[in-house]
Amino acid sequence: MNDPAALYALLPEAVLAISILVIITVDLFLARERKWLLTPLTVAGLAATALAIAAVWATPPSGALAGGVYTVDRLALVLKLAAVGIGLLTTLFAPGYLVVRRLPLGEFNAILLFSTLGIFVLSSSADLITLFLGLELMVMPAYLLTAFHKTDRFSNEGGLKYFLLGSFASAILLFGIAWTYGLTGSTVFTEIAEVFSGGLMNGAVLVAIGFLTVGATFKAAAVPFHFWTPDAYQGAPTPITGFLSAGPKLGAFALLLRLFSEALGPLRADWLDVFVVLAVVTMTFGNVVALTQTNVKRMLAYSSIAHTGYILAGLSAFAAASDPRVATQAIEAVVFYLVGYSVMNIGAFAVVGMLQRDVRRYGGLGSFAGLARRQPALAAAMTVLLLSLTGIPPTVGFFAKLYVLLASVDAGLAWLAVAIALNAALAAFYYLRVVVYMYMRDPEAEPAEVERSGVGRLALGLSVAGVLLLGIFPGILLGWLPA
Amino acid sequence: MSGLPVLSLIVFTPLLGVAALLFVPGANHRLIRWVALLAALVSLGFSLFLLGYDPAGAEFQFREDLPWISAFGIRYQLGVDGMSAVLVLLTTVLSVVSILYSWGPIQMRVKEYYAAMLLLMAGMLGVFVALDLFVFYVFWELSLIPMYLVIGIWGGPQRIYATVKFVIYTLVGSLLMLVAILAVVIANANLPGGTFTFSYEALRGAPFPDLLQAGAFIAFGLAFAIKVPMWPFHTWLPDAHVEAPTAGSIILAGVLLKLGGYGFLRFSLPLLPDAAHSFAPLMIGLSLIAIMYGALVAMVQPDLKKLIAYSSVSHMGFVMLGAFVFNTQGLQGAIFQMVSHGITTGALFLLVGVIYERTHDRLISHMGGLNARLPACAALFGLFIFASIGLPGLSGFVGEFLVMLGAFQYSPWVAAWAMLVVIASAVYMLWMFQRAFFAVPSDWMRRAWGGLRDLTRVEWLSLAPLVVLVVALGVYPAPVLEATAGPVQRILEAVQSAAGLNLIAWPW
Repeated sequence: MNDPAALYALLPEAVLAISILVIITVDLFLARERKWLLTPLTVAGLAATALAIAAVWATPPSGALAGGVYTVDRLALVLKLAAVGIGLLTTLFAPGYLVVRRLPLGEFNAILLFSTLGIFVLSSSADLITLFLGLELMVMPAYLLTAFHKTDRFSNEGGLKYFLLGSFASAILLFGIAWTYGLTGSTVFTEIAEVFSGGLMNGAVLVAIGFLTVGATFKAAAVPFHFWTPDAYQGAPTPITGFLSAGPKLGAFALLLRLFSEALGPLRADWLDVFVVLAVVTMTFGNVVALTQTNVKRMLAYSSIAHTGYILAGLSAFAAASDPRVATQAIEAVVFYLVGYSVMNIGAFAVVGMLQRDVRRYGGLGSFAGLARRQPALAAAMTVLLLSLTGIPPTVGFFAKLYVLLASVDAGLAWLAVAIALNAALAAFYYLRVVVYMYMRDPEAEPAEVERSGVGRLALGLSVAGVLLLGIFPGILLGWLPA
Repeated sequence: MSGLPVLSLIVFTPLLGVAALLFVPGANHRLIRWVALLAALVSLGFSLFLLGYDPAGAEFQFREDLPWISAFGIRYQLGVDGMSAVLVLLTTVLSVVSILYSWGPIQMRVKEYYAAMLLLMAGMLGVFVALDLFVFYVFWELSLIPMYLVIGIWGGPQRIYATVKFVIYTLVGSLLMLVAILAVVIANANLPGGTFTFSYEALRGAPFPDLLQAGAFIAFGLAFAIKVPMWPFHTWLPDAHVEAPTAGSIILAGVLLKLGGYGFLRFSLPLLPDAAHSFAPLMIGLSLIAIMYGALVAMVQPDLKKLIAYSSVSHMGFVMLGAFVFNTQGLQGAIFQMVSHGITTGALFLLVGVIYERTHDRLISHMGGLNARLPACAALFGLFIFASIGLPGLSGFVGEFLVMLGAFQYSPWVAAWAMLVVIASAVYMLWMFQRAFFAVPSDWMRRAWGGLRDLTRVEWLSLAPLVVLVVALGVYPAPVLEATAGPVQRILEAVQSAAGLNLIAWPW
């Protein structure tokens, strides 16, 4: 402990951990018909956490905590706030889906918050061990959540696949960590960076970078390490799919930002090319495969792979930037994209979930046929979310893409920007196909029943409002990162 | 000039109309129609303020300037010069006409329809008044989605294919344009003493490197060429027109295509003059192909709407030809031709809609003898056909004549080629007119014979402003020409001083 007074910077983590314990305890004593109280309780816990983050933001600690293994800077706080937002939306969307399937709300909320806590630790990690701890704390609950619907075989299959491949990826990452430690003699990012900035470069360093890259991009679901994604996303209960596509992705990019921009920052000229190629391959593959999907849930799963590609492009822009101003901008672009993407994607998955009130439905395109006539508000909300995913102004998806494009062009990767632009046009085809179904086709003979949960509607309203607000006034989330 | 934010009022009144429509019950069609019409009329009313544009005054007038996204130097900057003022007026008039005309034909999902039309109106108006490239892009994309819905929901049998084709085509172009916008903005910021700004006036005249100019010109050009549409990027247009409801066709031909022409004149030429200089022969070549191709294909079309759609390709070719010969007559002619084409083609599509409402068909071979049952319709159809061919005294003549003058100065051969096509356009238009209105009625038509009624009051009302404009501008084109003289002069100054690109350093 360098400075015991600086421990207040851990307040958000503490509040979140206490909320989890409270939820578990209260859940034990609640009668079945009062279980719904757990949702407001979880919301309250998340709100308290957000307040704690705001408090720390107002008086940030100077330097890293706990001997340099934990850092609470602006980047960490923004990522944590985003994680709280993701948790909040998921909490609100979940009850409508879980209740009809008789799945327990209390355990769900507690596991969800555990995963959020993992994202917190990841965002703040300044040390390889902390990083790994945070990662496991984030993904273990995610495996559980994927298999949460234990009587559904798709859910089980998805959870198992996610668990096996995820553990495999963790092992690879751990191997990379071991190599890095062996080469540099330290697990602290700043010390690793110091060794690497001395110009250390040999085959062993390449092996270390290679393993770290594979492990990290596995978690971010980049091609060719994406195989777990479609099955896990499709199998998981839909509100959880929304969380999986946003939370662990946020965590994976927090990991990438911390590890690659800080520890491996001095070597960025060496990992730049790999990331550029990964970005282009990921976005193109995700979009091309999404084109052929007839199940909206699976289509959104592949589209989330494509979005990973766009975010990786932002990271490549960071690596290619020669000017520190541009590098800062690229990181901000990555975070802005993550936030915007989370809001719109969770919302979109939630709409799919709302059309699964009939538990035999798995989110096929047919469920959306003629939705505009049966549920005009729901269809309109989905349209806004899909337009945002496509990147049409004035939505957050547009500005996020613009920011990544800007960072790429500014960093001298103009052709990468062209690849993003062409991919976005390709993606328009399958996003708009859902709009075609909702607005231009007649309903099926037996139209999908729609869930009418009040909190679900509220959360959907929040998502749409967030998409439009951040799209029209993106300034609220710009310029927070000091150069 | 008054302190009123006239341009914002013009653009946002239709959006207010959309907001108002949300509170109108969907079953009350009458109220919905009145609310939509009122919003469009109020916007038109505000746009009449632009008649006060002073050609001798500052370049951009009615300016508005507010900070928007200050981290990126994006400002909500609006303003009009003579060219955009004319196009804004065209847009508001045609929007009112199309909303009024939809009174009868649109009976299904009325509320969504009028909301989409008003949104479309706002998007198009925003494009013409934006002086910040970011604002321009936002409105440019905003105009895409409502048209997508209008064609996709209220269109013909192949509407989904047509609307998806329309959107994908347009998006490819506009997303590449977005990259080009960013490249230009960043290049400007990296110039010595440059600032990070999306402002059109600040970017204009910046000495961009040749390679960037070439790339940006291609990207901008692709977006605009698809919208115009220039040959060979025109294939979405006939599909979109055939499937679109009548009002959609009016807006599509009347205004949306003009976004492309406007984009070339406003952005490509003044921002990237060297590239424009070097690419001009190519653009002229493509325009000449478009002019001839559109006319030849129009001759063999069996469908009234398709015929007019291909004639649009030909007429918009004239616009592009005028834009790239780089002289006063050519540019003035291009702008005038845009306005005139908007009015005449809008009216022709409206009249085809009138026929379709009565016969439920658009095949020329199914027509014949319509003159006997629809005399007023026939008379107006004739008027707009003559305007489209370019009969002196009607608006089409002025634009075509000026473009021809400009083309002649560029090269007599180019002018001769274009002149040849004017004859061809007379052939396909008059032949179609003859077959549809004066030939012996087909068997098919005889069956529909009894149900044919001449123009209704709403149809008369929606056609009246177009009739007035087509004659007035033909007889007295001076106001438009005066208003556009200044902008044309500025474009010329930019491109005539340009040196052309030098991408490869030749060794000799």
